[in-house]
Amino acid sequence: MSGGGGVPARPVPALSARGARIAAGVPGLLDGGFALYVADPFDRERNPEGVVNLGTSENRLCFDLIEERVTLCMIVVVVWLPHSSVLNLNHRGGGVSVKEHLFCFFQITVMNGCCAVFATLSTVLCDPGGDFPWKGTVCSCCILQLQFGVTAVSHCWFFFFQGIRVRVLVLINPNNPLGDIYPAQLLKECLEFAHRHELHVIMDEIYMLSVYDDTTFTSVLSLDSLPDLERTHFMWGFSKDFGMSGIRVGVLYTRNHEIQKAVNQLAVFHSCPGPVQHILTQVLKDRDWLDNVFFPTNKKRLKEAQNLLVDGLADIGIPVLKSSGGLFVWADFRKFLKSQTFEAELELWQKLLDKKLLISPGKAFYCHEPGWFRLVFSDSVDKIYLCKLVLLLIHHVVACKLWKTLALQIMCSNLPIPSQLARALLALV
Amino acid sequence: MIPKQHRGGAIGRGAPRMSGGGGVPARPVPALSARGARIAAGVPGLLDGGFALYVADPFDRERNPEGVVNLGTSENRLCFDLIEERVSVAACRLLCCFLTISKRPGNNLAWRKSSLGLLTVLTAFTRIFPWKGTVCSCCILQLQFGVTAVSHCWFFFFQGIRVRVLVLINPNNPLGDIYPAQLLKECLEFAHRHELHVIMDEIYMLSVYDDTTFTSVLSLDSLPDLERTHFMWGFSKDFGMSGIRVGVLYTRNHEIQKAVNQLAVFHSCPGPVQHILTQVLKDRDWLDNVFFPTNKKRLKEAQNLLVDGLADIGIPVLKSSGGLFVWADFRKFLKSQTFEAELELWQKLLDKKLLISPGKAFYCHEPGWFRLVFSDSVDKIYLCKLVLLLIHHVVACKLWKTLALQIMCSNLPIPSQLARALLALV
Repeated sequence: MSGGGGVPARPVPALSARGARIAAGVPGLLDGGFALYVADPFDRERNPEGVVNLGTSENRLCFDLIEERVTLCMIVVVVWLPHSSVLNLNHRGGGVSVKEHLFCFFQITVMNGCCAVFATLSTVLCDPGGDFPWKGTVCSCCILQLQFGVTAVSHCWFFFFQGIRVRVLVLINPNNPLGDIYPAQLLKECLEFAHRHELHVIMDEIYMLSVYDDTTFTSVLSLDSLPDLERTHFMWGFSKDFGMSGIRVGVLYTRNHEIQKAVNQLAVFHSCPGPVQHILTQVLKDRDWLDNVFFPTNKKRLKEAQNLLVDGLADIGIPVLKSSGGLFVWADFRKFLKSQTFEAELELWQKLLDKKLLISPGKAFYCHEPGWFRLVFSDSVDKIYLCKLVLLLIHHVVACKLWKTLALQIMCSNLPIPSQLARALLALV
Repeated sequence: MIPKQHRGGAIGRGAPRMSGGGGVPARPVPALSARGARIAAGVPGLLDGGFALYVADPFDRERNPEGVVNLGTSENRLCFDLIEERVSVAACRLLCCFLTISKRPGNNLAWRKSSLGLLTVLTAFTRIFPWKGTVCSCCILQLQFGVTAVSHCWFFFFQGIRVRVLVLINPNNPLGDIYPAQLLKECLEFAHRHELHVIMDEIYMLSVYDDTTFTSVLSLDSLPDLERTHFMWGFSKDFGMSGIRVGVLYTRNHEIQKAVNQLAVFHSCPGPVQHILTQVLKDRDWLDNVFFPTNKKRLKEAQNLLVDGLADIGIPVLKSSGGLFVWADFRKFLKSQTFEAELELWQKLLDKKLLISPGKAFYCHEPGWFRLVFSDSVDKIYLCKLVLLLIHHVVACKLWKTLALQIMCSNLPIPSQLARALLALV
């Protein structure tokens, strides 16, 4: 499209005030880091000098299994296409078939991603200007776990005094970024707390099938009764548990009829394509593959990868919070900060990024204490070793002898070591 | 007439469900926000309501011959065989490598979710009220667009509503006609003079079936207001893929791009879908030598069939060149020239299992106009004709009998209730 044919317009703002605010939004830390990775992604053969991504929460460990299973579904799609329901208009909020294999399909809505689910819920539960959903879990781990009741109440009052009315409590279980799991009793206490304060609860269980040790995971769906059924809403998606963050499918399950009606009105703006629904239905129907191949294999690979990263971090004196679920660990880098400030945390983050290692600073998760980082382990072994390598190089306080030992180990391995790191290692050895 | 909602609540196999009853009943605090309550209270429009009835009881030649024949929903099913074959090839080559890559939008041409979602996103930036300036009676709009548009703008201004956006649909929905290049330029100039944004919805741009020259806004040498002209298209109509949910926005306005990109995460297009469609679009040979010519030919044939059929029973249509439908004049069949009579006629047709779209749904200012979609199988067009026959008030009995005989002698699967009614006529 080319311009230049008319009188220059008088300076009327192109966007609405709301549009201008949206346009002015700057990428957050997580998005900013991801953009740098996308611009220069590590690849063993094609870009060994690229950014190693342990920042983005994606599960790439079972890609081989998923690829095979989904490809089989694509062949089935060929058979289904003549029915035309797959390519033509489907039901707003998800076709019957896919919902049937999720839960009680009368009360669920399928949308194009959990972002869409969350945005839609926020739209119908909160009014612009005054209402505020609160993610009650993004605080320092220990304080949250042990003092949740006190912390939550104090936070609510904090917002109230600021004139912000809290309407929704968002709970993420297994937790992001901590990776731990709410004991059943704590979960019930959270729900009771929300009920007393008449808050809606959005239970985000997007990692519910990514529990890799033997801790008992209690889903809200498994509780015999809820304090406030009409205000408890369940959210899940295919992005994490199935490693399909690009398929863009999220699910909302709520028993609140008014919310269902409102959400269904908006679902047309977040539709899930027919072919995608069809493929995922086939995957979900295959209980044999799920129970005997995918889930056990995924659990095993998650555990192995988590062990590898945790041991690697321990070797260089970085403790992590004990975790049982999710795709990441919550690591304690406090001793490496020049000062106990968020500026120092971001400086460390940037230094790692300069060395082509992307991890996620606690500030991005509104952690109240600087020095905590989230590291994602659900990718190839190479990347975990490279992460360790980079961390080595900026390690301020480990004795020189230990550096050399570890450096030797890595030099003797078969890893493709980025050249700049190789040179730095040689200098150490 | 109440559209059927979901079909009941069988619990999925082994799936737990959330159960209440464990706590103190909440004090009566409204569950939804004020905004949420307004959204929840929205009732389905005429088009959605009609579609829901069709979905609940869809005509199928073998499995449900008594079902609702759908000439209401604008979908192109004529080239499904070609698309099926081409998409299957693309699908089989899909390596699933896009499952873990969330495509991030970028550049001027951005992948978005459905056109409807797109319109909403653009509306969000442009304040109160976008105005679809083309949903008026056909002739008046075409010839007097300038006057009509200005008078409409002033109408809204006097009501305290500030118009920010002009939405133009070309080829037009529901009229099916095409803006001549000169008229298009006049519209753009008009918008520029009033500092309106223009959303050019060209979703039917590749569904032009006669030899009328179609001028896309993208082909104009220059635009009066490049920063306020935004182009929209999708795969739903031209490729008959309304279920694939892919719409495209093209704008040169950098601020709008930034804002739209911020919201795009809530309207993402799955990686595998983007990949398949990319393969289809890259195959210029298939597009230029197979799909486009075949689609054009089948659209023209189907349109002729419907137009001739309607003419046989005295229903004229607006001359059209694009889109998947015709704009038909049912005014003489209304009991009175009112929208109540129009809806009564619409309901009567629906009772006879024929779904068409009343002009009221398109904010037509004059009752008696209906949109009929022709881009489906021949059977459905004949059945439409059949139903229209049966409620035809003013055609001479002899003509009824002749046509009824023709249809009885054809090989069409005639729904039993219609067959009985026809036998009574013959």
